[in-house]
Amino acid sequence: MSTRQILMADDDADDRFLVQAAFEDNEIPNQIIFLEDGEQLIDYLGSNVQGSSPLILLDLNMPRRDGREVLKAVRSNKSWNAIPIIIFSTSNAPDDINSAYELGANCYIIKPSSYEGLREAVLNIQKFWLNTATLPA
Amino acid sequence: MRLLRSITEQKLSWFIRSLLGISLLLIVGLSYSYHKINKQLIYFSEKVNHTQRVISAVKETSSGLYEITFLTNSFLFLRDTTYINKSLAALSEFTRITSNLDTLVSDNTVQKQRIHILHKSVDVFREQSMVLLNAGEVSNQSDSFYITYKQLGVEATYIRKLLSDMTDTENMLLQNRLQSKENYSKQILRYNWLIMLVAVIFLSSAFLLLDRELGRNKLYRIELENKIEALARSNSELEQFAYVASHDMQEPLRKIRSFADRIRIKFGAELPDEVNMMLGKIDSSSRRLQSLIHDLLSFSRTVNSGSEAIRLNLSVPLGEARSNLSEIIRERNVTIHCDTLPDLEMHPGQITQLFQNLLSNAIKYQKPDRKPVISIHHELVTGEIIPEIKPAYQELHFHKIRVIDNGIGFKEEFSKKIFVIFQRLHDRNHFEGTGIGLAICKRVVSNHNGYIFAESAEGEGACFTVYLPADSSLS
Repeated sequence: MSTRQILMADDDADDRFLVQAAFEDNEIPNQIIFLEDGEQLIDYLGSNVQGSSPLILLDLNMPRRDGREVLKAVRSNKSWNAIPIIIFSTSNAPDDINSAYELGANCYIIKPSSYEGLREAVLNIQKFWLNTATLPA
Repeated sequence: MRLLRSITEQKLSWFIRSLLGISLLLIVGLSYSYHKINKQLIYFSEKVNHTQRVISAVKETSSGLYEITFLTNSFLFLRDTTYINKSLAALSEFTRITSNLDTLVSDNTVQKQRIHILHKSVDVFREQSMVLLNAGEVSNQSDSFYITYKQLGVEATYIRKLLSDMTDTENMLLQNRLQSKENYSKQILRYNWLIMLVAVIFLSSAFLLLDRELGRNKLYRIELENKIEALARSNSELEQFAYVASHDMQEPLRKIRSFADRIRIKFGAELPDEVNMMLGKIDSSSRRLQSLIHDLLSFSRTVNSGSEAIRLNLSVPLGEARSNLSEIIRERNVTIHCDTLPDLEMHPGQITQLFQNLLSNAIKYQKPDRKPVISIHHELVTGEIIPEIKPAYQELHFHKIRVIDNGIGFKEEFSKKIFVIFQRLHDRNHFEGTGIGLAICKRVVSNHNGYIFAESAEGEGACFTVYLPADSSLS
């Protein structure tokens, strides 16, 4: 079992609550830290991360610093540019999806429109990103 | 109203054209007339010149006669033989001058007769002069000498008389010719002035009409530009609306579904059945609202959003649509017959959507126990057979594509209503759907400057007819 820390940046409190519930309902043991926008995420990365790199769940549309800016900042920072980033957004616009990958996202998930769907998406994240894929140290 | 305006516009344009045409004809006529006048005037002045030449030739003849008479008399009186040679030279010069007169008056019969007589007299005069000159050297003052001398005088007087008559005639001719030249110029000039006046009136009225039309056109253009601007504004508002609908409206809806879902999953077992049932209603209602918003969005996005139209065979988008529907086609065991389809200019994504919606409708609205059979026919037609077509398009060629099914059909009275967005003929328990499919079809066809119609009788299958322009008209 991976013990990798998960960071989630989303300005929407309901979404944070639902994702937390989905993690709990799937009984995923990994520690998950919630941040309310891109600014907080960058601050957190700068001050709190030691040891193995985290897995980031990133919303695109946020106040202060949005997902695109976070992608740019993380990808241009030498000690962070290997961190796997999963975009977790409501937008299904092709422009948003393409630009996210161009800016260095590793994966793009459209927020499911039901809780059932969300629970399944979270379970798949665990199965693939935490248990199947080998991530950088 | 617009038709009326276009008819009067057409009349006006013909009126202006005829005004301009008539003016042009008048101007051409005027130029021709001036050309004629010029020729006539040249002719007149040539005539006048000719008359003057005749008059001067007559004068020359007259003075030649004087010279000969003088020289002969001088010889006879002075007996100086040098006068004989001079007189003989003058005589031969006189012969040349009179024969010159010959050619000058060849066009006038009266003068010609006179010349004829003149020649005879001149011949007599010359003979008598020769007789006198020869006789004078040998002897003189005989009777016959006197007679000849007298006769010579008579002949000279007669010639002088002839010459003076000729001069009078020519003078009269000159007078007449000058008079008729003047009359002619006066008359034709008055006539030309009249034509010119008419031409100027026609030209200026055509100009005024054109000027007024140009002014009116400018107004129309400004009006049109304003409308285009308003349209662009409302389009951009629509795009903003689409964004708001896609993001902001779906967001709270997703939450409603997610939380209702979570309540059911987490606490479902502890809640009364009625609460679970109501949670299920919340879920299905919000799911339906989600699909309505989704369809509304795809409808509003079905515009020619920058994509270039390309020339492609219709079977390509049809194949795409069939492969998108392959699962249900296999499941329902659908048979599709299809004619050979033409190449045409299109936005392929939209045409795929068109076929997909028509095929999925044909499959969906089917009796459960019957095997769906769909046939697609193509023929090339001219615009005049299309109902409600704009008159300007009647001459164009169209591809007529019919999609015919053996499904449940619909009542004839609904054949227009089914293309209206969110209009449905059946309740959701029997046939699922939001009622957007045919509205999108209509929009796609309009985007391609085409027409779509539906006909059916209840229980007898439906036929959807699409007309797409064959002459490339998408730009």
